[in-house]
Amino acid sequence: MNNIVRLLTTVTAASAALALSALAAPLSFDFKDPKGVNNVQFSLDAPLEQITGHATGVSGTISFDPANPGATTGKIVVASSSLTVSNAMMKDHLHSAGWLDVAANPEIVFEAKSLKNVKTSGDTTTADVTGTLTLKGVSKEVTVPVTFTYLPGKLGARVQKMEGDLLVVRADFLVNRSDFDIKPGQMTDKVAEQIHLKLSIAGAAPKA
Amino acid sequence: MKSHPLRRILRLAAALAFVGAAGLWAATGAHRGWTKTQITEMQRDEITGIDYPVTRDGLVAGVDVVAAGAGLAAALLGVSLLVGRHPRKTVSA
Repeated sequence: MNNIVRLLTTVTAASAALALSALAAPLSFDFKDPKGVNNVQFSLDAPLEQITGHATGVSGTISFDPANPGATTGKIVVASSSLTVSNAMMKDHLHSAGWLDVAANPEIVFEAKSLKNVKTSGDTTTADVTGTLTLKGVSKEVTVPVTFTYLPGKLGARVQKMEGDLLVVRADFLVNRSDFDIKPGQMTDKVAEQIHLKLSIAGAAPKA
Repeated sequence: MKSHPLRRILRLAAALAFVGAAGLWAATGAHRGWTKTQITEMQRDEITGIDYPVTRDGLVAGVDVVAAGAGLAAALLGVSLLVGRHPRKTVSA
């Protein structure tokens, strides 16, 4: 009798642990978006008018646990060739070897390493994310304020016949172009040193 | 004294160049920045709330077009001043 009770207790405990681990497991969100909704907007001051543009070639994955958002890790990649401005000649300059050198540096990458100041309210989590930003082949550690919005069950509203969750990631921060060898110390009277970046992306985690 | 016909043509061309450039600039919105060859509008994704850019080809003439028109007009005007000038004759005693 005691053996049966012991066996039942063990099986119950193991089942509970398994159920809890399934609930607490981080979800892997894929940020590839062929529709071009995922975007990074950039702007720099210049004498005549502010230079503004955007990039929509976003991909990457983020591992996010709604029960433990502080453990989030991941990597977001932006195709350099997808950066565009509204003037064709200016776009050619932007992509050229003298500026972003898109041919030699096809990807801009941010790899998240750790989170601090994590605050969660409902489905929204804000945190300071520290990671490595690689731009024009130069890698630098940066800390960026990020907002994560977890949308459980919303994948079906975006993609027909698919079930799963969405994760919206927003970030708004400044970088200095000279930190990434983008004409360091040059043409500061024509193109500002600071680049304002605004990231708005959504990733999908389909249910298995 | 009548001016040389070519001079008149060059001055007319200068006027047309400047008026044409300024007219194109005004007609496409008198944009006080660089010429745009693409037009971007922001739209909102209803499910995620993300504002995203939608780009289409289009021309918005900028101040560089006006400057180019003014430069061409000035060049044509300069050439017109040289056209039809009679070389000075030296009179021997």
